[in-house]
Formats: sequence, structure tokens, C-alpha cells
Amino acid sequence: MYSLIVAHETRTLAKTPSLLWILLLLTAAIAFGAWASSSVFERQSQGATAISNYENGMRTKMHDDLAKYEEKVKASGGKMEFAAVNHAPGEGPPQATNAGAVGSETESFAVLPPTGLAALSIGQSDLNLNYIPVSMKNIIDATKDNEIENPVNLKAGSFDIAFVIIFLLPIFIMAMSYDLLSSEKERGTLAMVMSHPISLRKLMASKLVSRIAILLAVVIAFGVGAVMAVGSELNQAETWARFGFWLGATVLYSIFWFALAVLVNAAGKSSATNGIVLAGSWLAFVVVIPTIVSVVTSTLYPAPSRLDFIAASREAQTAAEFERMKALDQYYYDHLELVPGGEDKANDFLTLSLANNASIEKAIKPLYDEFQNQLNRQEDAVTKFQFVSPAIMMQLAMNEVAGTSADRYENFMKQVFKFHAQWGEFFTGRFLKRDPLTTEEWKQIPTFKYVEEPFSDVLARLMPSLLGLLVVVAALTAFAFSSLRKYRVAAR
Amino acid sequence: MLEAIKLKKTYGDFEALKGLDLKINAGDIYCLLGANGAGKSTTINLFLNFIDPSEGQAKVNGLDVTTHPLETKKFLAYIPETVMLYGNLTGLENLAYFAKLGGHNEYSDSDLRNFLKHVGLQDGAVEKRVAAYSKGMRQKVGVAIALAKQAKALLLDEPTSGLDPKASNEFSELLKQLQGGGAAILMATHDLFRAKETGTRIGIMREGRLMQQLSTDEVSHADLERIYLEHMH
Repeated sequence: MYSLIVAHETRTLAKTPSLLWILLLLTAAIAFGAWASSSVFERQSQGATAISNYENGMRTKMHDDLAKYEEKVKASGGKMEFAAVNHAPGEGPPQATNAGAVGSETESFAVLPPTGLAALSIGQSDLNLNYIPVSMKNIIDATKDNEIENPVNLKAGSFDIAFVIIFLLPIFIMAMSYDLLSSEKERGTLAMVMSHPISLRKLMASKLVSRIAILLAVVIAFGVGAVMAVGSELNQAETWARFGFWLGATVLYSIFWFALAVLVNAAGKSSATNGIVLAGSWLAFVVVIPTIVSVVTSTLYPAPSRLDFIAASREAQTAAEFERMKALDQYYYDHLELVPGGEDKANDFLTLSLANNASIEKAIKPLYDEFQNQLNRQEDAVTKFQFVSPAIMMQLAMNEVAGTSADRYENFMKQVFKFHAQWGEFFTGRFLKRDPLTTEEWKQIPTFKYVEEPFSDVLARLMPSLLGLLVVVAALTAFAFSSLRKYRVAAR
Repeated sequence: MLEAIKLKKTYGDFEALKGLDLKINAGDIYCLLGANGAGKSTTINLFLNFIDPSEGQAKVNGLDVTTHPLETKKFLAYIPETVMLYGNLTGLENLAYFAKLGGHNEYSDSDLRNFLKHVGLQDGAVEKRVAAYSKGMRQKVGVAIALAKQAKALLLDEPTSGLDPKASNEFSELLKQLQGGGAAILMATHDLFRAKETGTRIGIMREGRLMQQLSTDEVSHADLERIYLEHMH
């Protein structure tokens, strides 16, 4: 009986021109979303590659100068000397012998590589810089840098596949199912059907199956197509595991909207009323509730404004410059083993600069930490409040699957800070001792490689959203189908 | 085959049906007459289990429709005032679908065509989309569905309303054929002439109550009209 009605519904739907338009628009939206988000990541990775190549080029040139100088010294039987920071070009030992110059005037870019499925959800990756310049300079300053992005884009969000699924897919589903029963009742065919030995629930389930099958066939086909077209690391099992979760979340989210349509139809109102109620539900679940959650979390945990943060950083810089000698003394007091001989310390601008950076970093670090902590508290609050709207659960799940979540970025930033410390440690000691760098030591310059967090961590964060969706969908479906008991085929 | 036992339906304070007792056997065409709101459609909807009775029972083939909703519908066919079908499918496709919904998968394409031919649907119309059908053609497809379903009981809710006399007469003839096949038929109608011509028994309803039952053999057209009008005043 199920297959009969499913086949009948599918055939009837296939003869409905509006459905073809709905599916055409959906496929166009998915294709456009895939193209738009892939172009965002392509631009990001091109930027990261270009800047890394530029910096590597600069260091390669310095390395070549150093190698030539080393050969020259070896040939003459002399001793390697340390280049002064403010030496004139072309005279004396090259800058590459000065660890301070190399460590602060060239930068190593810490790059957060996109996951294979990054194009499925841009998340906040358009707000967070995915390549951070690391040098001996103040790292916190670097995190404030951003690429120039159209502010309208940042405000409106991106047209990525996650947007298509979270915002647009429910509209397509509602267009397919707002009149599941009401149109048949209005046309009179429902009474004809229900005079046969079939239960309303079986009829409804069959109607849903045909619609879900049609819709998901399109979403899955184009989802796979999008991944094949714009995804990467497709030979890795983890990419496909992520895609599996994306698919699972999408199926659950779709069923939520179909189940809501069943519930609204079960009230027995007209198609027009059903359409209005469903449109209102969409507005509530997709726009209003997520906005309220956002307002509530930022009210509960207000983050210090970026303006305050930048102002504090400038104040610290001014204060440090004002007391630069004191800062230098404090710096050497903290690092007695590094105090150089001679009288040249006050003239060494780079040393002062390092001392300045250290004191600025020390001054603004608590503010930065507080800023980060408040963001984390906001994230935690959103994670807790996510269960009030399937759209929030879906967005969090999509970001986790795509690797564009705030947690993955935080993990990246922790590694960046660690790398910054390693970088500083490597160059500072050599610089302050005025030890000339050698090509042998050059090989030991730290390099950054992002260590992907274990997939189990991703799963642990993904599961609450997925299980939340599952529970909400199961409860809503059960409630919607049990509500059909009260449905009256005949009007009074 | 069809039996109502103290069947009552209320909507809040309004009593749509006030304890109906009725029995329609195989081979009977029972015509329910009455003004709008008399309870005729309510009775049919109760037999179809489209609405729940407030009290009493509606039985089909001895089974209570509320406790055996699917089993009782295997015996039933329903022909409303206008048989509503899927407009984007042909008459043949509609018949095939409804026959299968009724649990009859055994019919071949030619069997289904024969049903439609038997009810008088022209050959050319069989393959046409139902959206282009007249009301008379739709009613014929309704009867074909009842035939294909091998229904033992038919519930008809003003099926000839709006049909021209010729189509109405053809419809009556089809009903008589079904009656001859042993079906129990309950037909709600406003058409006294059709009730006298087609029915075997007549029940006159007013305000949810069955006022009088008559055998069509025992009453003339004129008497029937007089009795009916007496009950309406």
C-alpha cells in the first residue's frame, strides 16, 4: 500500500510544474552556494600562499647572503661577525647574521588549512584571518589584522551551502508540503481516498516519503556534486565521514520541516492558513529565535569591545615608549643572562623594540584573554541554547563538519601563540647575545604546521547538535502523527 | 449490511443526529430525504468513519466502523455529490489507483477499461485527463470505482444533484445494476422523483431525526411529495 501511494504521489508531483521550478531553484541555489563558498576559500588560500611565498622569498634571499658571507669568512680564515641592526646595506656582515633582524623583520605565516569540506559552510572563517604573521613583534597586534572584506557581506553572511540548507531548504520544503492534506481536502479527493481501507497516518507517511525522496535525491546528488567539485582531500576517509554527518544533519533538518508541515496540516485549516503558519514558523525558528539567542548571549556575556582592546593596546604602546629605558632595564632584569657587554644597549633600537613589544604584550594580554574568555562564554551559551531552534543546531553542526567552527579556530590560535613563543625563544637569545646566525642554525628556525585536532574532539562537539536534532525531530514527528487522530476528513 | 443503532452526533450543543436506528440489507436502495441540515450527510460520514459518533454505533457488515475502520471500508464505496478525482490523471489512471487502494491489484488494463465502458464512459474519454470531465462523467467513474472495488455497500451523498435528466437516469440504471448484484445502497438526496424511481425504501429526515420510513412500492409520487412536505412544515 505504501509503495502504491508513494508511486502515485511521485507521479502526481512529477506532473506539477511548480515542483519542477522549486527543484530547479534549489539546485541553482546549491550550485551557486558551492561556487560562492569555494571562491571564498580559494581567495583565502591564494592569499595565504602568496604571502608565505613572499616571506619565504625574503628569507631565502637572506639565507643566500649568509651562505655567501660564510664562504667568504671560511676562505679568509676569519671569524663570523654579528651585523648591527642599523648598518648600511652592502657593508659588513649581512643582516642574516642578526637573529633579531631575521626574527622580527621577516614573518612566518601560521596558516590554518581548510578541511576538505570547508566549502560547505563558511561559518566565521570570513571574520577570522586564516593566516597569522608570526615574528618577534607583538602577536596580539597581528590577530587584529583582517583582510579587507565588504562589510555588507560580513553583516549579511555568506551565500554558502549552509545558508542554502538552513535558510532556503525549509522554504522549498514548505512549498512542497504546506498543503499535504489541505489541498486534497479542498479538492475533495481526500474523502475519496479515505473511503478506502487506508489510515490517514499511512497516507501521510506515504506522501512524506515521496516528497522527502524527491527532495533529498536532489540535495544529496548536488551535495555530492558540490563536494566533488569544490571539496578537497577527497581520498581521505575523514572527509567522507564529515560528509556523512553533513548528510545526516541535513536529512534530520529536512524531516523537521516536513514534520512541522504535518503538524500544521493536522490542525485541519485551509492551505492558505497552513502557508501563513509555516512561514511564521520559519521566521521564528530561522530568524527570530537565533537573533534572540545571539542578543541574550552577548547581553549575558558582553565581550569587551574591539575598540577598547585596540585603545588599551595603544595606551600600552605609548606608556612603553615613554618608559622605554625603564622597560629595557626591566627586560634585562628579567633576563640577566642576556645582558650584553659594552655600552651599545641603549642605542640598539631593536632591543628596545623587543622590550617594548614584551611590555605591550604583557599589558594587553589580560584584556585579550578576557576578550577570548567572553567569546568562549558566548559560544558555550549558544551551545546550550541551541536546542531552542533547529536552525542553530544545524549551523553549529555545519560549522563543525566544515571545520569552520570557533573551537577549531581557537585550537589554531593556541598553536599560533605556542609557535610565536618558540619563534621568539629561537631568535631572542641569539640576538641579545649578539651571536651571529649560521646557515646550520638557520635550518633550525621553527616552522609552523597546524596539527589537526583529533576527529574525536570534533565528534564530541558535533554530537550534541546532531542528537539534539534527532530528539527534536523524533518528538515532533511523533506528536505530528499522533495529532492526525483528531483530523476530520469531512467538514461539519 | 448497513446498520445504525441509536446513532447520535452532537457538535457542542447542536444535535446533528438524534439517535438514528436504521438497517439496510443487501439488495436495498435506501433513499434518505430531507432538507439541508437534516442529518443525511452526517449519517453517511458516520458510516465512513469520517466523524466519530457521540453515541450509538454505525455498523457495516456487522462490524462497528469506529473499532474496525479499515475492515469496514473494504466493503464500502462512496460517491459524493461530485466525485472528485485527480485532475492531472486520466480516468483510467484514476480507476487503477482507486482499485488498488481498495486492495484489488488483480485487474488488467483491459479489465479496468471494461469497467469504464460498462458505466458508459466513452472510449475517447478514458485516456483523457479527468480535469476535462463533466460531472456526469466523474459520477460514472465513481460507479466504476465501486464496481472495481466489488463494494457490498454504497454510500451516496446527493450523487445526481446537478445532473441533467438523461445523465441522472443513466446513473439510476447503474445503481439498479449494483443493487441487482447484491449491494446495499444508502443514498442521500433531495430528488423525490429519483428516490421513488430508484429506491426500494425511503426515509424522511428532519432536524437529525428519522421521521418516517416508507416502501417505494406502497407510495405514489404524489403521496410521497405530500408526506414529505407534511414533515417539512
